[in-house]
Amino acid sequence: MRLLLLVTLIFTCANAWGEGLVSRKIDADLSRPDESASYWSGARAETIQLMGQPMIAPRPKTSAVSGLSVQSVHNGKWIAFRLSWKDPSYNEAGKLGEFSDAVAIEFPVKSNETPPPVFMGGKDDPVHVFHWRAQYQRDAEKGKPTMKELYPNMSVDAYPLEFVDSGKIRGISEESREAFSPAKAQGNPQSYAKTGVDELLAEGFGTSSVLPSDDAQGRGRWRTGEWSIVIARKLTRDGASKLEQGKSSFVGFALWDGGSDEVGSRKSVTMSWTPLSLDDGQAPKP
Amino acid sequence: MAKVKNWQLKRDMDFPYEEKRPKRQWAIIFDLNKCIACQTCSLACKTTWTSGKGQEYMFWNNVETKPYGSYPLAWDVRVLEKLGHQDWAKNGEYQGKTIFEGAEVTEKAVHFNPKDEDWMYPNASEDDCAGNVPAGDHIQLPHDKWFFYLPRTCAHCTYPACLAACPRKAIYKREEDGIVLIDQARCKGYGECVRACPYKKSMYNPHTRTSEKCVGCYPAVEQGLQPMCVQNCIGKIRIMGFINPPWKAREDNPVDYLVHKKGIALPYYPQLGTEPNIYYIPPVHADPAYLTQMFGPNAMDAVAKYRALAKDGVTQGLFMLMGSTDRIMHRFSVKEGQARGFDEAGTEVVSVPVTEPLHVRADWDPKLGAVRNNTP
Ligand code: SF4
Ligand code: SF4
Ligand code: SF4
Repeated sequence: MRLLLLVTLIFTCANAWGEGLVSRKIDADLSRPDESASYWSGARAETIQLMGQPMIAPRPKTSAVSGLSVQSVHNGKWIAFRLSWKDPSYNEAGKLGEFSDAVAIEFPVKSNETPPPVFMGGKDDPVHVFHWRAQYQRDAEKGKPTMKELYPNMSVDAYPLEFVDSGKIRGISEESREAFSPAKAQGNPQSYAKTGVDELLAEGFGTSSVLPSDDAQGRGRWRTGEWSIVIARKLTRDGASKLEQGKSSFVGFALWDGGSDEVGSRKSVTMSWTPLSLDDGQAPKP
Repeated sequence: MAKVKNWQLKRDMDFPYEEKRPKRQWAIIFDLNKCIACQTCSLACKTTWTSGKGQEYMFWNNVETKPYGSYPLAWDVRVLEKLGHQDWAKNGEYQGKTIFEGAEVTEKAVHFNPKDEDWMYPNASEDDCAGNVPAGDHIQLPHDKWFFYLPRTCAHCTYPACLAACPRKAIYKREEDGIVLIDQARCKGYGECVRACPYKKSMYNPHTRTSEKCVGCYPAVEQGLQPMCVQNCIGKIRIMGFINPPWKAREDNPVDYLVHKKGIALPYYPQLGTEPNIYYIPPVHADPAYLTQMFGPNAMDAVAKYRALAKDGVTQGLFMLMGSTDRIMHRFSVKEGQARGFDEAGTEVVSVPVTEPLHVRADWDPKLGAVRNNTP
């Protein structure tokens, strides 16, 4: 069964839904994501089908979210994607067992005719991922939650090296305190406040590594059972993916429903690449 | 899935990765007849490793009162009930499924997913005994009520479920000593190890947003020293060393001797299938059915051997070496009433009498003109 699925996937990997997603050229600042901007009303929405990640365990039993509506606009320098889907609950993560609503879009790094495997790329054929989480947006807007915010009623005598010493004890720095938080001391990006969206490179399942933050942005809003998120990126990032106006590429999607305990490999994904073409602003407006 | 050898089950079993035993394997033995639940071990670990933010309720070493104590709450019964029948054949071969064999296709291991609240009662049921004590009851021997203390660290399993379940491959087992570590630079805090570890020894830190676990005190081990929770054990109930699989067992290795030669120290819940590397000398006074469920079909055999220790000078000597040195003993010998421990280079690190010399003093001190007693 799994083999059959694999074979089908290989043959459908560059299959298009219609002509795919068209990114309209507009004249607007796209570096600040704005999910309620008026330009979205002129952008055609594509429905992207998702299914529970079927390749490796641990994986979801069912597809928590089966469809995603996507629009795109660009201005020759920046490109923005508006992603909307139904989700009855807002989930942000924080404590153990709380998981964040999240969405990710990916692009092939190489501009070969055949794109890499849609599931996180392949060896020497990486994908460039933009990963937004409600948790990351919260970090960007309100700061990373403190222990006091996560557990308001917890009583703690003292944390190591956190005391008022009237300046007499030398050598106590934020760095020396961080030695007591191993992942921070190791510089793990997961342990620091996020800017809204993580950029990653991956060459297959479980290989993703976070890129130093560039200018990419992700912001959105959850309203009455629906998420609407905008991810905005520059058309080009050196060492990662490049998009060009008037040309075509591919885009893939993944989505996590925090309310269904989805995280990591427990996610819904697109089973094939969606062709993405950036119009050059010359085409007649519909 | 690969077929791997699990000697604790006396059979091969399925595991997501090929069998690859480390050069040597970290192991701790605990004598449950002697643990007093003083929690010195828990605090030794806590002050060494988990005093930071997000680790407030994190105890890599914990001590729980069995049968009811549990951290996180009811971890043992909740994983056992999901595993289904756990029968053993007469020859000691396990006939049920392991957590890997019983897993649904969407999962790596049979597990339960503990909630945040489950971790908040590390002392739940401390000193609660297994039965009600009616008014007017009095002690009879043997006791008809029982409980015992179970100190636990990560078992640095030969087949770690935490490692199997991590989709980022951020968990690794060290070649040099078999210690299982979570790479704190790669972990993304998915918590798959927290779900999958049947012993619930992988824990979540909401401050760093990563999972953390017992590190086997590897910096000490690298210097030939036993872990902090072993060095500081008040009851001298522990010994840390390196265990060999039975086909490579060495009689003069303290851990091999107690586990393989003597068969008095047993893995706990071996039926889960991870080949855990913490071993217990079962308490002699607890319910046999309970002990057999926890320590496998040889539990009562180990109890019988413990009861016969008065006639076994070698094991007695080895017990005297427990807690007598901070150094890791690779070899031991018991000769002429003296037990000796040796480090890797063969240098003697400790020597103790098997029987402590007995001094009898008169109850009257004529010099001070006072009655002697034992009250300090
Ligand atoms: S320090 Fe030793 S005796 Fe005390 S609780 Fe821990 S294992 Fe038991
Ligand atoms: S006890 Fe749990 S955390 Fe430790 S190695 Fe085994 S499976 Fe992993
Ligand atoms: S071996 Fe070290 S890290 Fe592990 S429980 Fe003992 S003291 Fe803690």
